[in-house]
Amino acid sequence: MAVVLLPGLLATEAGGTKEFDVEAATVGDALRALPVADLVLDERGEVRSLVHVYVDGERARDLTAAVGAATRIRIVAAIAGGA
Amino acid sequence: MSALLVIGTRKGLFLVRGDDERRSFEVEGPLLPGWQVNHALVDPRDGALYACANSWVYGGTVQRSTDMGKTWERSEGLGLPEESGLKLASTWHLEPGHTSEPGTLWLGGEPGVLFRSDDSGASWQVNEALLGHQTREKWSPGAGGLITHSITLDSDDAQKLWIGISAAGVFRSEDGGASWQPRNQGTEACFFPEDRFPEVGQCVHKVLAHPARPERLWQQNHCGVYRSDDGGDSWERLDENGLPSGFGFALALDPGDPDRAFVIPEEGAENRVTCDGRLGIYATADAGASWRLIVAEEPAWAAVLREAMSQDDQAVYAGTQSGHVYALRHDEVVEAARHLPPILSVEASTWQ
Repeated sequence: MAVVLLPGLLATEAGGTKEFDVEAATVGDALRALPVADLVLDERGEVRSLVHVYVDGERARDLTAAVGAATRIRIVAAIAGGA
Repeated sequence: MSALLVIGTRKGLFLVRGDDERRSFEVEGPLLPGWQVNHALVDPRDGALYACANSWVYGGTVQRSTDMGKTWERSEGLGLPEESGLKLASTWHLEPGHTSEPGTLWLGGEPGVLFRSDDSGASWQVNEALLGHQTREKWSPGAGGLITHSITLDSDDAQKLWIGISAAGVFRSEDGGASWQPRNQGTEACFFPEDRFPEVGQCVHKVLAHPARPERLWQQNHCGVYRSDDGGDSWERLDENGLPSGFGFALALDPGDPDRAFVIPEEGAENRVTCDGRLGIYATADAGASWRLIVAEEPAWAAVLREAMSQDDQAVYAGTQSGHVYALRHDEVVEAARHLPPILSVEASTWQ
């Protein structure tokens, strides 16, 4: 079990819910359990390049890292764009 | 019949409704806030609203609404197979399938890919013949990327369709997409000084088949305006018959008259603004033998993108990158909307 926090656009796409409790053993499991998994992960199952994932405040780069019941995963849109 | 303009912008989707006379317009939106909508339309077969919704963070997808934008469903499983070595970068153009194939839609995207849906956009299957086309290594991306932006159907034959890819050229299929043949003979690739008329590599900006005469194609290209009367087997250049430039993006046809077409020339590839300091819509009524200028706005240094001109049975509509929408009816131009975000697409429909 872990808690995943979504930014605004993803929360809208998830039906207005910003926080999800998901059954997951790893960070990757948690992301794949989201109703917006296709927006967070590309068709290879890799985190999109401008999606940043933080686990308990630390930038996560290993989707196989284990998560626990108290783990909080926050998804953040990277600073990008300009238009 | 009143007008409904479905307008894709860099910052969401807008609906602009016009009265019977195309003199008064009302703006609704933005819908899909946060999404860049490269193209959107109402499927005339069932009234569903579709949008190529893209995010620089979350990628490209298709959104579908059956209640005119109150609620949306996002397509599932949109992506490219791992063995292709490619990933879907963005979605660019939606085309309702043939009238004999309800529920079928075509979707063009980057990098030079095509999808088909047979369940009203819930899921999509990539077109393998185009994905693995033997000429793909000769394709190169334009400023917007390597994009499949034009999909136009033969109204008489569900197996026959054309696509346009920048910068790969025009391709025709006569077997429902099982195979694709380049159809670029006579269209110039002016940016290839050593080989100006290659088999593929042309930078087509927009290609449309006329609904009442599908063997007649019109093409706005990086290097000229062209017409084909034999389904793309050969092309005749038309911009030298009175247009100030062969460069431009927007193209619209009169559904009631195969000889009438509209373009909006720009100065050129290195200066992409409308010619002569005005937004000029050029019309032909003789299949491109001559062109007539209709000034929509002056002075103006505007730009109208490839999906941003459309027509219904009453008027032609053009949306600019500076967020203005114009309606042209009986040579009279009316401003339909202003100060929208940069406009990427305009599709005309009707409503009652």
